[in-house]
Amino acid sequence: MRKAILLVITLLSVNFLVQSQTRTVSGKVTASEDGLPIPGVTVLVKGSTNGTVSDIDGNYQLEINENDNVLVFRFVGLQFQEVAIGNRNNIDVALAPDITSLDEVVVTSYGDQTRREVTGAIASVKGEIFQDLPMQSFDRAMQGRVAGVQVTSSSGQPGGTLNVQIRGVGSINAGTSPLYIVDGVQIPTGSLSGQGTQNALASINPNDIESIEVFKDAAAAAIYGAQAANGVVLITTKKGKQGKTIIRVSAQEGLVQPLGFYDIMDAGQLASIKRQAYINAGLDPRAAESIFGNPGDTELQNSDWLNALYRDGRMSVYDLSLSGGDERTKFFLSGSHTFHQGQIIQSDYSRSTGRMNLSHQVTEKLTISANISLARQITNGSIDRGNFVNSPFVAGYVARPNVPIYDEDGGYAEYPTDHLFGYNIVQGVNQELRRGTSYQSVSNLQMNYKILPWLGFTGFAGLDFSDNRDENNRPSTIPAFASYGGSSYFLDRRIVNTNANTNFNVNKNFLDVHTISGILGYEYKMETQESNSATGRGFANPVLRYLQNAAQPFDVSGFYTEYIRAGFFGQAKYDYDDKYNVDLTVRRDGSSRFGNNSRWGTFGAISAGWRISSESFMENVNWVDNLRLRASYGITGNSAIGNFESRTLVSSAGQYLGGPALSFVQLGNDLLTWEESASTNLGVDATLFNGRIIITLDAWRKDSRELLFETRLPLDSGFGSIQRNAGKLRNQGFDFDLQTTNLIIGKFRWSTAFNTSIFSNELLELYEGLERVGNDLIVGKPIRFFYGYDYGGVNPANGSPMYFDENGEYTYQITDDDQKYLGSALPWTYGGLSNTFSYGPVSLEVFFQYQYGNKAFNQDLYNLAQSGSIGQDNQTVDQLYFWREPGQVTNVPIPYEGGRIPGHSGYQQMSTRLISDGSYIRLKQVSLNYDLPKSLLYKVKIEEVNVFVQGINLWTLTKYNGLDPEVNSLGETYGTYPSSKQITAGINLTF
Amino acid sequence: MINKIKNRMFYSAVMVLLVACTDLTTNPRQSLTPEIALKDVSGYQSLANSMYNRATGFGYYGQTMMIAPDILADNLKLIANTGRYQGEEANGDRDHINIWGLNVFGAINDANLIIEGIDSEEVSGTESEKSFIKGEAYFMRALLYFDLCRVYGYEPGREINGFNLGPVLRLTPTLKASDADYRPRATVEEVYQQIESDLLEAESMVGYAPIASEWVYYGNTGAVYTLLARLYLYWGRMEDAEEFASKAMEILNLRSNGEGLVEAAQYVQSFSRAPHPESIFELEIRQVDWNSADGVNNSLNSLVSDSEPAAQFILSASDELIASYEEGDVRKDCWRATTRDGIEGEVYASRKWTGYKGDFLENLPIIRASELYLIRAEARYQSNPAGARADINALRFRRGLGAIDNLLSGEALLNKILLERRLEFALEGHRWFDLKRNEKNISKHGDFLEVPYTDYRILANLPLDEITLNNLLEQNPGY
Repeated sequence: MRKAILLVITLLSVNFLVQSQTRTVSGKVTASEDGLPIPGVTVLVKGSTNGTVSDIDGNYQLEINENDNVLVFRFVGLQFQEVAIGNRNNIDVALAPDITSLDEVVVTSYGDQTRREVTGAIASVKGEIFQDLPMQSFDRAMQGRVAGVQVTSSSGQPGGTLNVQIRGVGSINAGTSPLYIVDGVQIPTGSLSGQGTQNALASINPNDIESIEVFKDAAAAAIYGAQAANGVVLITTKKGKQGKTIIRVSAQEGLVQPLGFYDIMDAGQLASIKRQAYINAGLDPRAAESIFGNPGDTELQNSDWLNALYRDGRMSVYDLSLSGGDERTKFFLSGSHTFHQGQIIQSDYSRSTGRMNLSHQVTEKLTISANISLARQITNGSIDRGNFVNSPFVAGYVARPNVPIYDEDGGYAEYPTDHLFGYNIVQGVNQELRRGTSYQSVSNLQMNYKILPWLGFTGFAGLDFSDNRDENNRPSTIPAFASYGGSSYFLDRRIVNTNANTNFNVNKNFLDVHTISGILGYEYKMETQESNSATGRGFANPVLRYLQNAAQPFDVSGFYTEYIRAGFFGQAKYDYDDKYNVDLTVRRDGSSRFGNNSRWGTFGAISAGWRISSESFMENVNWVDNLRLRASYGITGNSAIGNFESRTLVSSAGQYLGGPALSFVQLGNDLLTWEESASTNLGVDATLFNGRIIITLDAWRKDSRELLFETRLPLDSGFGSIQRNAGKLRNQGFDFDLQTTNLIIGKFRWSTAFNTSIFSNELLELYEGLERVGNDLIVGKPIRFFYGYDYGGVNPANGSPMYFDENGEYTYQITDDDQKYLGSALPWTYGGLSNTFSYGPVSLEVFFQYQYGNKAFNQDLYNLAQSGSIGQDNQTVDQLYFWREPGQVTNVPIPYEGGRIPGHSGYQQMSTRLISDGSYIRLKQVSLNYDLPKSLLYKVKIEEVNVFVQGINLWTLTKYNGLDPEVNSLGETYGTYPSSKQITAGINLTF
Repeated sequence: MINKIKNRMFYSAVMVLLVACTDLTTNPRQSLTPEIALKDVSGYQSLANSMYNRATGFGYYGQTMMIAPDILADNLKLIANTGRYQGEEANGDRDHINIWGLNVFGAINDANLIIEGIDSEEVSGTESEKSFIKGEAYFMRALLYFDLCRVYGYEPGREINGFNLGPVLRLTPTLKASDADYRPRATVEEVYQQIESDLLEAESMVGYAPIASEWVYYGNTGAVYTLLARLYLYWGRMEDAEEFASKAMEILNLRSNGEGLVEAAQYVQSFSRAPHPESIFELEIRQVDWNSADGVNNSLNSLVSDSEPAAQFILSASDELIASYEEGDVRKDCWRATTRDGIEGEVYASRKWTGYKGDFLENLPIIRASELYLIRAEARYQSNPAGARADINALRFRRGLGAIDNLLSGEALLNKILLERRLEFALEGHRWFDLKRNEKNISKHGDFLEVPYTDYRILANLPLDEITLNNLLEQNPGY
């Protein structure tokens, strides 16, 4: 060992000793496409830090040593080129557009790799792809851009959370979100606010991001062992580069619009269908008239509730960054401000962020770096996802059009108490305050020490800290809250999430062809969450809303929880001559969430790669630039459950007569342990025709077992469920990614990026030999599906709704046994297609995103499409095609007040009538960019000016029967907050 | 040697580091382990509090048990279609009283925990404290199982096609997963025997609470006797019913002439007092037991009255109920005539559930003294019609009415007693059960169709999820 060190040192000194005479080389760098000079190209002597940058005319000049023999030319977006110097003093270079991404650096877990080396399934999204897009959080950037990653919204609230699923749905009850790591800091997902969804990932300004890497298989993710079963998303923020300070400013302004509305009835139409419903039910139509008005009355009050609730919102994004550095110190500084109004009144989002990324080389061996960020997010939220009378997405549609919104004095009119609990939704939305304010910092400190040239040590500490306040003020001016004089609710929540790791890393090359690298480390993570809340009631004046003004301190509550995870990990890699390589990863992880004796689990993966294109027999196959096979197998874990779910808990259960009540809220399970996911991946990477075609194809299978399963207990035991390890689940499929450069004609260039995933999801096994759990889980089916009645249409003879019974016969009265499987809620394929056209300084990107093959269940139709029969809800206009006379063929049953024809089942059934095809293709993004000519800018000392116009969600093709197929997912689909259309224009300047 | 020490130091350092590195101890600070929670008698008192608290849930006495039995029969009519109770009014398929859930079974488990654990020597506390809490647990377990029986099963001897199943019977607590085994339903007869035995156990343990005293908020002797009397009445054991009704009346100072009940003039007002002046067992509720909008959304007061402008007021007395009150009956004053948009003619807002504690809140009288007169009258109507008439007259006297026809007997007398019950307990959740346990068809208001006693809808359906989960669990016939 010592000898080896000595040898290295000797070699290094020799290197210094032979330093000798210098000379100058110069030349010009141009673009091979158009022959124009390229300023800013880095020119480096290979194997040294000696380098320069080309000037505005593309010229460069560099002092080199006599024995230097290769120059490297690099420029973002162009292929790098190595040129032998020989005896030349003048070297002109033409750089070709970069179409191969083979040598991009891929950031992996605890060290970097080039894509050449990667044997796992890793996909990347580079920051430039989503730079200046009006998205609030980076998870959105993966939508349609990465094969195998499905991104759906849970709400159209600006700044809201998204659902991200990598390679299917891997768990039934435990979390299915990937692990997110921002510059080494593991951050939790979800909403920071309880008053409107606020994405915990949105504290990172997407413009600060250099790249996003998605680890899809076990080989890539296993080093995160126990938390990697759902995949890992690694975010790297921008770092400064040596050279002159680059200042970048961008600003954009835009418009936010609803995608569309349900077409609902006016007062006359509603009055007429309700009148018919009363008559058909044998009731007095005058009763209907006294509520809904006379259908023939042309003077009928006609309120436009939607118009009072929806709007064209405004949005703006401002962004500033500085980056640069010298040999030893590099920095990246940024600040941004975003303001984004929702399509609904009182719903908006604003965010300010600041970031400082610094790295400093203390000595030749020691480097320290710090990434510090701070963000403030303010969400004014709307009530969505639930059949709530105070949700604008429900009440805005069902509110009766014949009721005035405002009274004669311009105040809010009282809404009749027999509908919507007397809640005037326009008043409610305007006067209720629902605000979430968060301050969050995701920061870290890192130290790298090069013990030996081939051996390094890294110490890392990361912090994700957030403070959140929820405010909910319900003033007494709203009649529903008048009885107690209005109320104010405050909740303060703090999340402190820390992780630290230390590791030794090795990288050594022997005899030119053998490379061994490895890592050995330890990691510790702890998260605590704490909250305190208080409600006060009885405010003398609706303007007063702080607790000291409350006449009655009403309710206090709080919350505390924590968990710890610790792990040891090791990884070894071997590479032979860039042809064959093998990776081996092992990790042992423990989590406080599990039973005392079952906390620790071992995970690992093995993978191998074979670069066929490096074999001698491929030497003459010129059209193949790179061809490589990859294979991997590994086991990862999932522990995404509540922090104390393995324990028997006795908790507060309210009070009786002022005395505290305690009850057993949970049955413990000492044996509870990790959920496992075994994944196999076979992949091919190919780069063909000089980089014009790049293909990545992966075939994968992911078997999840020992699922963290909230298994049902019989209710008569006093408990509904217990957490157990049981069941088996399989996801399998193909991920396909294709990038082509279709045309290069002079300055014109057309390139395409397409990706698609095809997958299936199947429940293989439950527990105790069960074939199904209620109508929720069935062995052999996907884990998310719809189960209900098969709607048989309307009987033309009498207008009654019919259903198919279990034998396929028509029936009016359905029983439990008539329910059947109605289709999967998971698509079998999804992906994206992007086409980029550029002509010199002008470029246009057109990006489509799609999913196909899933059913969607729209609960809105329970309210809006029941033939005007139940309650007083307004209806969609298509309900007017109801059955009127024998022989009439229609899909809308006879209006029948109460919705219960004697001897028939009620009108509101979970049936195929409410289920539609949830597939869609959406024109997600169109961006038009224009780069102002550099020659023009040179005079005003501006490096780059780019003006752009972009549109988001411009067009959708779908058969879905609701407002937005993207936000429809399982669970409550009543009153979901649909996505919006956004159009913005902006400019960015680089100095 | 030095090397050895060095080595040892090195290894101990490594060990310390390893232990520190792998320490995963966390503490659910807002919860307790069972050992800590139940080490003293105050822990068991907190369990008992949970038991009562669960009983006030909207899925049980907080709403369902008060409203559903009245709208499923003929006492109430719906006057606003918010979607609630629309099915129950029409006796739709599966629109029934649904109490097969964690409110009831959780409370039973609380009771089982107390009964099984409190006597242990490791639990600190005095014998009398322990006995008192255990008595309450026996009483509550009896009440809970009694309600399950009358909702999900036929009364013994009144089965249709011999179907005699009641709820699943569990008498030991669920403390771990294996305790939560799958069990078949017990017969109503078996459960009745258990209820009887629980109440007889409770008798000597619970304390005595005078009517309308602050002790009626807990299980007490009077409540135990009354519930026993009620049980025997449902069971058809009329002599026992009479005996325990008399016993209860004796210890509660309720005289045969009605003395001890509220004066007629105070009757309406009595529903705005805590405890109710006739309460033998009452559940107390406080504002903190509710979520912010529960008052307007779920409270009895909001559903049946218009005393607050924001109240939902979706239920009114049926016209038939109003027509049944005799001239001078003060109980009719518990209804106030008013109008409602979309409803022809008069509707009636309740003055029984008045929200007198503010923001729709009020206590829930579960067992009132007047029931004893009605139980005894019904227990006597065949064997001692004169006694039955005397009990009815005593009650009527306190309701501003004169005596009933002195010759009334047999079925006519029974019908008269049931009518008195209907008037006395409107909106208190007795009507459905009174008809059902007497094998009577369920009469309805307006044009709604009568439900014959032989119809499957006389019994509520068990939740489908439970049936599919537990193969041993038999669904009620017809579902």
